[in-house]
Amino acid sequence: MIAIQQVVKTFKNAAGEFTVLKGVDLTIEKGQFVAIIGKSGSGKSTLLNMMTGIDRPTAGKVFIGATDLYAMSESKRSLWRGKNMGIVFQFFQLLPMLTLLENVMLPMDYVGMYDVDERPRRALELLTLVGLEKQAGKLPLAVSTGQQQLAALARALANDPPLLVADEPTGNLDTRTADIVIELFQHFAEQGKTVVMVTHDPSLTERTSRTIIISDGEVVNETLAQAFPLLSHRQMLALTKQSVRQTVAPGKVVLSRDQHVDQLYIVVSGQAEVSIERKKHASAVARLAAGEFFGEVELLRGGKAVATVCAAPDASLELLAIPHEALLAALKDSPLTEAALTRIVQHRVGDGK
Amino acid sequence: MKPRWRKVLSDLWDNKTRTLLVVFSIAVGVFSIGVISGAYVIIKNDMSASYAANHPANIELRMEDFDRDFLTSVQNAPDIESAVGRRIFAIRARPVNSTQWAALDIVAVDDFKKNDINLLTPISGAPLPGKREVVVEKKVLKEFQVAVGEDLVFELSDGSTQTLKVVGIVQDPTTGADDFLAPPFVYVTMSTLPTLRQPDAFNRVYATVDSGKNDEAHIRNVSADLVSRIEKNGKDVSRSRIALTNEHPLASTVNAILGILMALGILIVFLSSSLIANTLAALLNQHLRHIGVMKLIGGRANQIFGMYLVLILAFGLLALLIAVPAGGQGAYGLALFIADKLGFSLLGYRIVPMAFIIQIAIGVLVPLLAGFAPVIEGSRITVLSAISGEAGRETAGKPTPGAKRESRWEHFQVRAAQALLRRGIHLPRPLLISLRNTFRRRNRLILTLFTLTMGGAIFIAVFNVRTTLFDYMDNVGHYFVADVTLDFEKPYRLSEIENVARQVPGVVDVEGWAFATAEVLFPDGSVAENLTVLAPPAGSKMVDAQPVAGRWVQAGDTKQIALTEGILRSFPNLKPGDLLTVKTNGRTDHWQVVGFFKFIDREGLIAYGTYDYFSREANLANRSVSFRVVTDTHDQPYQRALSEALDQHFRASSYKLRQARPGLSALDNATESLDILVIFLLIMAVLTAVVGAMGLTGTMSMNVLERTREIGIMRAIGAGDGEIIRMVIVEGMVIGSLSWLLGLALSVPFTYLLSTIVSLAVFETPITVVFTPLGYFIWLGLVVVLSALASVVPARNAARLTIREVLAYE
Amino acid sequence: MSATSSALIELLDVSKIYATEAGEFPALRGINLAINAGEFFGIVGKSGAGKSTLLNMITGVDHLTSGEVLIRAGRDVSVHHLSENDLALWRGRTMGVIYQSFQLLPMLTLLENILLPMDLCGLYRPRESRRRAMELLELVEIPEHANKLPAYISGGQQQRVAIARALANDPPILVADEPTGSLDSVTADHIFDVFEKLVTRGKTIVMVTHDTGLMPRFNRHLVLSEGEIIS
Repeated sequence: MIAIQQVVKTFKNAAGEFTVLKGVDLTIEKGQFVAIIGKSGSGKSTLLNMMTGIDRPTAGKVFIGATDLYAMSESKRSLWRGKNMGIVFQFFQLLPMLTLLENVMLPMDYVGMYDVDERPRRALELLTLVGLEKQAGKLPLAVSTGQQQLAALARALANDPPLLVADEPTGNLDTRTADIVIELFQHFAEQGKTVVMVTHDPSLTERTSRTIIISDGEVVNETLAQAFPLLSHRQMLALTKQSVRQTVAPGKVVLSRDQHVDQLYIVVSGQAEVSIERKKHASAVARLAAGEFFGEVELLRGGKAVATVCAAPDASLELLAIPHEALLAALKDSPLTEAALTRIVQHRVGDGK
Repeated sequence: MKPRWRKVLSDLWDNKTRTLLVVFSIAVGVFSIGVISGAYVIIKNDMSASYAANHPANIELRMEDFDRDFLTSVQNAPDIESAVGRRIFAIRARPVNSTQWAALDIVAVDDFKKNDINLLTPISGAPLPGKREVVVEKKVLKEFQVAVGEDLVFELSDGSTQTLKVVGIVQDPTTGADDFLAPPFVYVTMSTLPTLRQPDAFNRVYATVDSGKNDEAHIRNVSADLVSRIEKNGKDVSRSRIALTNEHPLASTVNAILGILMALGILIVFLSSSLIANTLAALLNQHLRHIGVMKLIGGRANQIFGMYLVLILAFGLLALLIAVPAGGQGAYGLALFIADKLGFSLLGYRIVPMAFIIQIAIGVLVPLLAGFAPVIEGSRITVLSAISGEAGRETAGKPTPGAKRESRWEHFQVRAAQALLRRGIHLPRPLLISLRNTFRRRNRLILTLFTLTMGGAIFIAVFNVRTTLFDYMDNVGHYFVADVTLDFEKPYRLSEIENVARQVPGVVDVEGWAFATAEVLFPDGSVAENLTVLAPPAGSKMVDAQPVAGRWVQAGDTKQIALTEGILRSFPNLKPGDLLTVKTNGRTDHWQVVGFFKFIDREGLIAYGTYDYFSREANLANRSVSFRVVTDTHDQPYQRALSEALDQHFRASSYKLRQARPGLSALDNATESLDILVIFLLIMAVLTAVVGAMGLTGTMSMNVLERTREIGIMRAIGAGDGEIIRMVIVEGMVIGSLSWLLGLALSVPFTYLLSTIVSLAVFETPITVVFTPLGYFIWLGLVVVLSALASVVPARNAARLTIREVLAYE
Repeated sequence: MSATSSALIELLDVSKIYATEAGEFPALRGINLAINAGEFFGIVGKSGAGKSTLLNMITGVDHLTSGEVLIRAGRDVSVHHLSENDLALWRGRTMGVIYQSFQLLPMLTLLENILLPMDLCGLYRPRESRRRAMELLELVEIPEHANKLPAYISGGQQQRVAIARALANDPPILVADEPTGSLDSVTADHIFDVFEKLVTRGKTIVMVTHDTGLMPRFNRHLVLSEGEIIS
């Protein structure tokens, strides 16, 4: 649905150049509900602007479906956006001179979707969907901020676009309304729409189908983030950069017992079989799936591999290998992660014995 | 420089468009006031100074021929300082290489060297003519091209011609100064008169008084005394005129016209001040954040007030820099133009201190006054509302918690749209946006509408005034129905002339008219007005009379006359049926006024009587010296051609024809001078329209600037360039059309006001106002075009904004 | 939180209620707070918790509904009993305010931006002002950009200038509303370094943030939620 290829965004001023996005690659599939999170200044809003066509990348390409977003003129892009994308802003951005109903009808007017007589009916349906049918004739100023955001959501849906993009949609809302907004997003994603939302609120990521972390203009490896959620974004990024992807053919050994280990492996896809030799008998202890890792025992306790790990025989195994020293450096600054890791190690070693 | 003054400087410099807009809007007002006040002072001074410098006569008498001895007796009359005799007669002339005759008046002067009244100002060539030479007044050059050293052909009364050399071109600011429609003058010495087959006799007395040269009553008494002395000596005085030495006879007319222009100039200042107020309000609005920051870091209201006051002063000073020199030039240019039209010369280029002071006062005070309210308001803003942006922007900033109430107007707009929708009238949202945007900045809209409406109303009114004036001239034309006027040297029988004239193809009707001249007397016996009585035959087809009071003269009337309203100047309470004391043919008589009509009074008043009575009085029953001819077609070229034909025909038939004049020619000059006036009014109207359009441009730019965020949203939800541009232009046109509707109404009082002032100044009589749709339609077209143009640039700027710039994330 | 009569900043039962069409919206509910001289004090809370409103009560930028704010810098002042004009002058001399969006005047150079408060409050002679402004630029470590316009430096540098400007009249108190909110993490760190340097020099800093991760860096902090202090 969305393919971002090597996108670089550099802002220039007399003080010099400031690169906000440093070659981002990202693919988002149809029907996903994606949260893009990151600290302020990380470049998450800029990344979103690259997807909406609100800003131009300095280099790289953005495809939405089959459309090359930046091959169009600004004016054409506006029209295309009106038809294919619904945008929800943090500050709602309803036009103050139009009633809620008129605000919802406006995108249909601009791109000429739906019959003239059908537009008010459809707009009212959308307002009903977000629970604002009683406020339809009011001006934005006359309703609460939460209601404004719900109306903005209805407006984003006006032309029934396959893609919804939201920048901090809950940033200015009380928790109750924020809840409703997220529920609606989930509902739309279930219906097959793709929803991309930028937020700085990590609690929202529990409710999305995918979380993309941006730190200092780069995308953090999702598997890594999943495996070590308690690391800071900067640490995640540093590890992302030092990690290496490996593909292992089905059944092949990744790590043999007593082999010297200086990396930690995270399963990206496929499954890893962990086996311990007991009385010359290799017995499988566990199967590790995506997001799970191995090599942590050796990381914390030192020494040689305590088990043999090989790719499950049915499929090839994708791994992310992180050098031990990099991880140890990260753990020093993140006692929470270290504690969590220690717990896992204790648990696994206990299991092993 | 202190940082706060550096900020003021940057505010001035960084947004050059806005600075230029404000500076120009101040400059337009200052310029127009400078031009008019400067021209007013220059003309008021120079017109009379140039007039007085040429020793104008205080008394001018038209009388039957007299000789040098008789002149001596005039010179010796009491309280006469000096008196000269001249002979003035009409003649036709043309350059040798042309066939086009022009009507001129020849002025024969006895001894130019001794002449000390109505002096001539040399322009080129010899200042004085010798024997068989002429010098021409420069107005002659408007009739045909002739240079010093070239010859003019004069047509004498017997039909023969004489060729005389032009030796000089002069200006005569005094002779005929009261009548800028008089034919131009050619000057000869008395010794040239035999050559022109004229007797060596004077027919005019020009005299100055000994004392009280500027005392109208005194001069009037001296004149009356002189006339009675002359008449006791058996000479008829057909007309007398008095004038002050140091006041140009047309001074009051010119001043009145300058007064109208001045009023319009003040209006432009007024309008530009509303433009300034608008721009400054927007500027302060954009600066709210700056004001908030300054207050936050210790700035007090009076410091901020001071900064913006200095900014406004700077705007004013910049405007003065442009407008004062331009205004000075313009003032002199306008003065020069008027001086040229009226035949006097200026004392040279100069800066008028008065105009200078007025300009500076306006350039400084008007912006200060206009900016006072917005600046006070801006400097009182609280830090919170300034920083949060809620005071300036409408809703675009961070929303405040909770909801506000809809204003009544917003409520009305929403309900109106819903009501329309229920009736099936579907206003598309983009149009709704334009319409509602129009009314969002209410104060700004009101000021913009005010300027644009005023400009439009004046524009429309000027067209109405023009039509009114020309309608009046048309009305006057009803008394000039004749297509050709034939004037003979001596009386001929009516039937005879009619027969001869009918021999020329195209002649439909011929009438002989009788004439009388009279002086209307005040009860104390002094002369109030000069009167010329035109006496067409009863039931004349040549006068399409439209009396405004009483009735027209009719068959059987004797001492009854219909009179122009001009008489009311001297006898404000005169009513139809009243008697006037007149002096005619040396006798005092009483004539009854039967009705009034409208006419342009110059060189005395016009009255109509019956041919039967006045021809008998003149002993010319069934005869006349003046005939009116009606032709089968009435356009000017035809009239001109036929008057040529009649001229040749009568001369060929040995009639002593003085001249044959096309009927409308007399009106031509008058129309032309009215056109000049109308052009001036139009220029002022266009200036006001320009100020209005500038106001609209400013408003649209400010609107767009304040709504950049909204424009970004529209783009984000699918609006292309076209939609954005259309939205802005439609808003501009809505404002334009609204101002047109308002201007429609406002133009009515303006038309009445302007027409009355102009006609009082020019015709010295009130006027019947006539409306024309022309101005309304032209202004409609203009205002639509102007408002579209005024919005195009802001609209294009709006379309050029990228969304990121607009929505710039916090 | 107990009120101490020697505290530099003291809030006594401060409430702020916004009236809206939907009814009254209490942004602050009876806040009692004392901040001592030399503290680096954090006000932490989610957006909408009322932390900016609380800051506005301290600076006197917004009016309170009830309660009192006392500031004992030089003389004792009840902030909300000053006239608008006196408040402006008092604030200019007593308090430096720093916002998330820097709020530099775009048409003035960095040096001039720092000179402006001195110009407006008239505490220093022109020559002294200049010297002082340069010193402050050195303090925030960007003297080399003194004559540049704000648009030509990065956001972090702009915030440094804003801090220098806040220090122009040598106020005892610095108040900062999300000063690192628009900055990337490295730059934000630098700004914090500057703040810590200032605290060691005896300034009192009150800072508002939504970032709970910053809590360890304050001497003391409170957490605000729904207009009330919850910890």
